[in-house]
Amino acid sequence: MFGLGASQAVKRQGPRGSFDPWLLVALVGLASVGLVMVTSSSIAVADSGNMGAFYYLKKDLLFLSLGALAAGVAMRTELKLLEKNAFPLLALAFALLLAVFVPHFGMRLNGARRWLNLGVTSFQPVEAVKLILVVYMASYLVRRRDSIETEFLGLIKPLMVAGILVVLLLLQPDFGSAMLVITVTIGMVWLGGARPVYLCGMGLPLMPLLYMAATGESYRMKRLTSFMNPWEHPFTDGFQLTQSLMAIGRGEWTGVGLGSSVLKLSYLPEAHTDFIFAVIGEELGLVGIVLVMGLFALAVGRGLAMGLKGVEVGQRFAGYVAFGISLMLAMQAIVSVGVNLGALPTKGLTLPLISYGGSSMALTCAMAGVLLRATWEINRALDARQMAKRMPEAVAAVDANDTARPREAVAA
Amino acid sequence: MMKWRDRTRPQPQRAKSSPGRRRGTGPSARRRMVLVVGVLGLISLGLVARAFDLQVVRKQFYQKQGDARFLREVPIPVSRGTIFDRNGEPLAVSTPVTSIWANPAELLANSDRIPALAKALGGDPQQIEQYLEQRSDREFVYLRRQMPPEAAQAVLDLDIPGVNGQREFKRFYPSGEVTAHILGVTNIDDHGQEGLELAYDDWLAGKPGSKRVIRDGKGHVVAELEQVRAPKPGQNLTLSIDRGIQFLAYHELKNTLDKYSAASGSMVVMDVHTGEILAMASLPTYNPNALAGSKPVQRRNRAATDVVEPGSTMKAFTLAAALSSGKYTPTSPAIETGNGHWFFYGHDIHDDDPNGTLTPTGVLTRSSNVGAAKIAMTLDTSLMYDTYRAFGFGNSTGSGFPGESSGLLRVGRDWRPLEKAIMAYGYGLNVTPLQLANAYATIADGGVMHTPTFIKGDDSPGRQIISPQVAHELVSMLETVTGPNSTGANARIANYSVAGKTGTSHQAIAGGYSKDTYNSLFAGIVPASNPQLVAVVVVNGTTKGGYFGGTVSAPVFSAVMGGAVRLLDIPPDNIGRWYVGGPLQGNGGLVGSQTPPPQPSANDVPVHEAPVDEAPAEGNAP
Repeated sequence: MFGLGASQAVKRQGPRGSFDPWLLVALVGLASVGLVMVTSSSIAVADSGNMGAFYYLKKDLLFLSLGALAAGVAMRTELKLLEKNAFPLLALAFALLLAVFVPHFGMRLNGARRWLNLGVTSFQPVEAVKLILVVYMASYLVRRRDSIETEFLGLIKPLMVAGILVVLLLLQPDFGSAMLVITVTIGMVWLGGARPVYLCGMGLPLMPLLYMAATGESYRMKRLTSFMNPWEHPFTDGFQLTQSLMAIGRGEWTGVGLGSSVLKLSYLPEAHTDFIFAVIGEELGLVGIVLVMGLFALAVGRGLAMGLKGVEVGQRFAGYVAFGISLMLAMQAIVSVGVNLGALPTKGLTLPLISYGGSSMALTCAMAGVLLRATWEINRALDARQMAKRMPEAVAAVDANDTARPREAVAA
Repeated sequence: MMKWRDRTRPQPQRAKSSPGRRRGTGPSARRRMVLVVGVLGLISLGLVARAFDLQVVRKQFYQKQGDARFLREVPIPVSRGTIFDRNGEPLAVSTPVTSIWANPAELLANSDRIPALAKALGGDPQQIEQYLEQRSDREFVYLRRQMPPEAAQAVLDLDIPGVNGQREFKRFYPSGEVTAHILGVTNIDDHGQEGLELAYDDWLAGKPGSKRVIRDGKGHVVAELEQVRAPKPGQNLTLSIDRGIQFLAYHELKNTLDKYSAASGSMVVMDVHTGEILAMASLPTYNPNALAGSKPVQRRNRAATDVVEPGSTMKAFTLAAALSSGKYTPTSPAIETGNGHWFFYGHDIHDDDPNGTLTPTGVLTRSSNVGAAKIAMTLDTSLMYDTYRAFGFGNSTGSGFPGESSGLLRVGRDWRPLEKAIMAYGYGLNVTPLQLANAYATIADGGVMHTPTFIKGDDSPGRQIISPQVAHELVSMLETVTGPNSTGANARIANYSVAGKTGTSHQAIAGGYSKDTYNSLFAGIVPASNPQLVAVVVVNGTTKGGYFGGTVSAPVFSAVMGGAVRLLDIPPDNIGRWYVGGPLQGNGGLVGSQTPPPQPSANDVPVHEAPVDEAPAEGNAP
């Protein structure tokens, strides 16, 4: 209806939403950088597999298109729909995480059951679980706000849910994603208003659990400690990390130039997925690293700021979803970058919106779409509040469910 | 489209429902947000600091580690210099070949491709796989060295991971076994192992350059950074060898060996004025382009490394000593050889036929052992030894050929009388065919000795070792040997006067001399009138058809040198008459006119007029 009268002044119909432009710029910027860097870093691996140098570019474009489609749908879907269906979605998350243990359906790769075999393609359920967790947590925080803020017991339920998810993830095992789920849950509960004392109380029993998980299997313990001194075993435990550090060290200030990375040429494993940041560091240098981290900071900062506005303006669900998704993006980016820089134990986590990977790309795009939708609804609420201040009668008219008010026409 | 209304409507109501809570939440959420943003910001700052540390502060360490992994200095192969003959015909050329190498781990990871690889390489898949597994800890193993470029390209076109090609050069010898012994061979790394390839390896090989490259994780070179050392290509070498004469020598020698079922043979052709070796053939030979299966006995360059007792060819040097002593001239005094037997210290020195009284020239012409021994016994031992020595016997010629033998000549003061006597006709000492050729070349060049050389234009200043007059007299005396009915008649070359000496010696075997195997020698100078070329032919161990040097070796000399003088455009002796009467066909080739005139042909032997056909008469004189 708005589009029809583009050449004419359009009557103001009521409060209008808008997507946060800076967030959009940051997300599109990250996806663009990702497309370029996936192309650059995957050439060697594509070439050695005889798939043509641009095989991964084509597939990445495909996933990005799927992601854009998902994001587009999410951006046009009322968040209320998600809020209402939080429980079925949570059930779906559990089902997906359990499905990886079903023989033939769940796929075992490199000793981990993280993938589902969907016939034509494989799917990593944890990417969907991340979004569902945020939606569930947001809906719980909205529903049980009072008990969260005052009662210790109010905390137990969401943390139990998160805990079960973590246990299922650890069974895969996917230590990195488990960490992500834990930190994002704690972050959301914290922003949701839980008392610090309760949070600490909840956090304490998690510590031995984490320790047990870390020491439970020797390879994980080795991985946990080997990052401290990768040069001790540069050809075994520290292999990936030393290659990554060498790549980043070669980058200096401005990098060796786009496409000129040497370490991506069959030296650095997973150069186009988990270790794409090292290739960015080598080819684009410190400038590139700061640029990428700046884009993440912009996206996360705008997401958190909009979320805060949303909470303040009463759009609590949208606000919490914005918090959760921003935190998820932030934490995943921090862990991935930290792993690449050798500041954190080596984990298999993708750099969101940049790394190659079907499930990760599509569902991160979907997540970004939900985040954008949240900003849209928050902006709409802000617009409505402004309208209410300036033209109370207009708001009243809206409340009276009247369609057209010629007097309140505003230039579109 | 109207959905937003549902969302916005309850807002004011909710705002009213719990105003106290709302007011409290606002600043609280902000404060909590400050903490979250602060933590995230601090972590981000920490990561940027870490990146700064890696990329700016400690970059050297990481770059050094990186360089150690992918920077490599690789050699820039240089081709070995070509070896040419004196006319610029290639004798040894380097052709590009490709060696196939593999990274075992990478190839084994694609073991399904091994059968295809084995098929292209022409090997057994299991064998290749086993070979690779045994070497799986290496990064580089050769699968096949030196494949023809097309075949190697076919292998590389399979595009099997871990299989790579490396360009190399392989030596190819167009004239194969004909020049095998002179040139020798190179090993698989293109370094000389034998022959002139070894002697001039430094000159031919050049110096491979090296360049710094970046290799990817699979060993492929992805970028060339800089040249560390400029390649110095091998230099070409032009030999003194004449391919045409070499082929003739090889061919004639081979035919003769076949004809007489002889075990081995060798021939040396030299330019008398420069010491340049024009041809050097040895048999049996081998194919240097396919070394596998060749035996050491085939690989020896007999002309330089094998020694032989020179037999009667040594008499020329006995006579050189005699003439130098001043006691003898070519015609006097007369030497009594009696019935051809001279019992000396219990040894029967004997001639093949009784010769009666001979002039010193006649001793050579008739090849009288008794005469030579008697002459020797009148000579001072040290003069005889010094003369032999001066002609180079017992010393390497200095040709520079690897493994050249110096022969054997005992020190003169140790000579017992019998030794001295038999040494006069070529027993009790060893010479190489090359030494003998060089000694005859010295006689031919007026007593000037040159160092034999294989390099064209490597003209060392000669040393005068005997007086020119003695040398010229010797040439004339030797010319009588090839007269009709003389021992060396078979060495004659139509239109060219030949001076030379036959030789036949019993082969030395363990415990003495073999009764029935001989060395058949001929050493000759052509044209005798104006010496240009010298050749020595040695045939060992004939088993049928004869064994005298004049029978076996002289025809080889004739055939080869007949071709050589034509190839080298050496004018015939009687060329002046060709323009007058025109050539006519004579026995065995062109001769000047119907019958040789009785008067000496127009030649320019300066000292002693010794017309070719008159010589035997002189020799037969009592």
